[in-house]
Amino acid sequence: MTDDQTTPKTRVADAFAGVLDDIEPGLGLSDPRPIAVGARHPHRETFDRELQEVKDSVLRMGSLVEEAIRAAIDSLVRHDADAATAVIVADAGINEVQRKVAAMITATIATQAPVARDLRFLLTLDHVAYELERMGDHAASVAKQARKMAPYPPLKGYVDLPRMSEAVAQLVHGVLRALVDIDHVRAREVAAMDDEVDALYHRIFDDVLELMRQDPANVDRGARILFAAYYLERIGDRSTNIAEDVVFLATGDIEDLNP
Amino acid sequence: MPSTLTAPTDRDDGSGSLPTAPPTSATRGVALRIERTAAEPLPGDAAGTDPDAEPAVDLRGVSVYYGSFRAVKDISFEVPPNAITSLIGPSGSGKSTLLRAINRMNDLIPGTRFEGEVLYHGENLYADTVDPVEVRRRIGMVFQKANPFPKSIYDNVAFGPRINGFRGKLDEVVEGSLRRAALWDEVKDKLRQSGLALSGGQQQRLCIARAIAVQPEIILMDEPASALDPRSTLQIEELMSELKKNYTIIIVTHNMQQAARASDFTVFLNMGEDRAGYIVEHARTIDIFTNPKNQLTEDYVSGRFG
Repeated sequence: MTDDQTTPKTRVADAFAGVLDDIEPGLGLSDPRPIAVGARHPHRETFDRELQEVKDSVLRMGSLVEEAIRAAIDSLVRHDADAATAVIVADAGINEVQRKVAAMITATIATQAPVARDLRFLLTLDHVAYELERMGDHAASVAKQARKMAPYPPLKGYVDLPRMSEAVAQLVHGVLRALVDIDHVRAREVAAMDDEVDALYHRIFDDVLELMRQDPANVDRGARILFAAYYLERIGDRSTNIAEDVVFLATGDIEDLNP
Repeated sequence: MPSTLTAPTDRDDGSGSLPTAPPTSATRGVALRIERTAAEPLPGDAAGTDPDAEPAVDLRGVSVYYGSFRAVKDISFEVPPNAITSLIGPSGSGKSTLLRAINRMNDLIPGTRFEGEVLYHGENLYADTVDPVEVRRRIGMVFQKANPFPKSIYDNVAFGPRINGFRGKLDEVVEGSLRRAALWDEVKDKLRQSGLALSGGQQQRLCIARAIAVQPEIILMDEPASALDPRSTLQIEELMSELKKNYTIIIVTHNMQQAARASDFTVFLNMGEDRAGYIVEHARTIDIFTNPKNQLTEDYVSGRFG
């Protein structure tokens, strides 16, 4: 196989090569403590530094995803096609951090033989990064609908879509806060908030269907609103997956919080 | 199966039989999953073993002194049969001392004193009536450095049965023991060659064959793979998991990954402020390495200790 110039790649061997120079943990979640509870230890300096870099990268991803969700809906309600395009383009940055996180975690597991909480930490953050990457994709999908709708007048203020997107953004923020604190009680509370997102989704669904029945001219925009709401619902669902990761990290138990 | 440990008048049981499998047949596989509900057994419940099975050996309030220095203090734990139990802990935590206490090897070191009980089939191995030589036949030992006798491969394995007055078919015992030690295929055509001519890993397996030739029930291993290359190390570990079907194995190791890979249960020892070793945590190995209960254990297995 030859190198494809257009396919972004990250080599595991280069996982820690200066990747984080430009990355500050976002979300106001910056936390000097290592997320792993074992605290720093002189015998494990390299290892602890790697754990810290993984954590900072994942929090940075979370920050980018939260921004993307808000920006996507913002571009929708402001009919700003350029802003929507910016969200779509920015998703590549989220994907890049995810590849770096996966490479760092692979390298650390291969070289440091982590066990117990350290191992759970790395497995958890690998999965969190995977979920965040998909959430980023969903946010970009919302932005694509926003771009399509930009030239047209709004349909009934986009129903409850702005409210739903804010609820989803808070869900993402809350679950990352629980991750930073390794707080499984908070993680469960946040996962329960997904019920509200689901309720909003169902209400939007019913309202939009009614609008489409009333006037066939509503069908095109109505279908796009339904898609946007569906993507937001998926983001909420993936947030509960992250909440499950937090529970696993904190307790070692694998639970289904969204049965 | 075992009878009394009192000094025998005639060590030969006359059966002349090959080592036979002990009665327990239940497999001792450890569940791979680490999720757990309240209904499932918790670590320390000896999950994975028959709860009614008699422990292979039961240590009660064991302390060992070297002169006035107490090396381990008040150690109590049961060793489940047909399983591998590893003893881990930092240097000075008393792992080897404790291991040697189980078959009275410390008796050979002048100035040692023992307190407590080591119960084996209900009998205290330290009772006055017990013959330590018989104890060491029932509870064999393999050391860090392979130490074959400067004799042929055959004579190394036949040595124990011969001095125990074995009168059966010695060839069968030698072959059976070498097969169980996963060495037969490599040495069957050179049984008269010196045991010292074998590679390090082969020598260690020869020592294991020598240990099992006298039909022990328990095999103690003190860092059996620390001087071996990775391939021989894994070979010894695979052999151990094969041997546990017929024997109970207790191993001291400094290699965390070896304890994680090879053992069913792990006892973590630490040195107390009085420098005497004590048990921090004793649980299923899977629990020790995925979610230990004690922060000291967590720190030790993840390399953040001391």
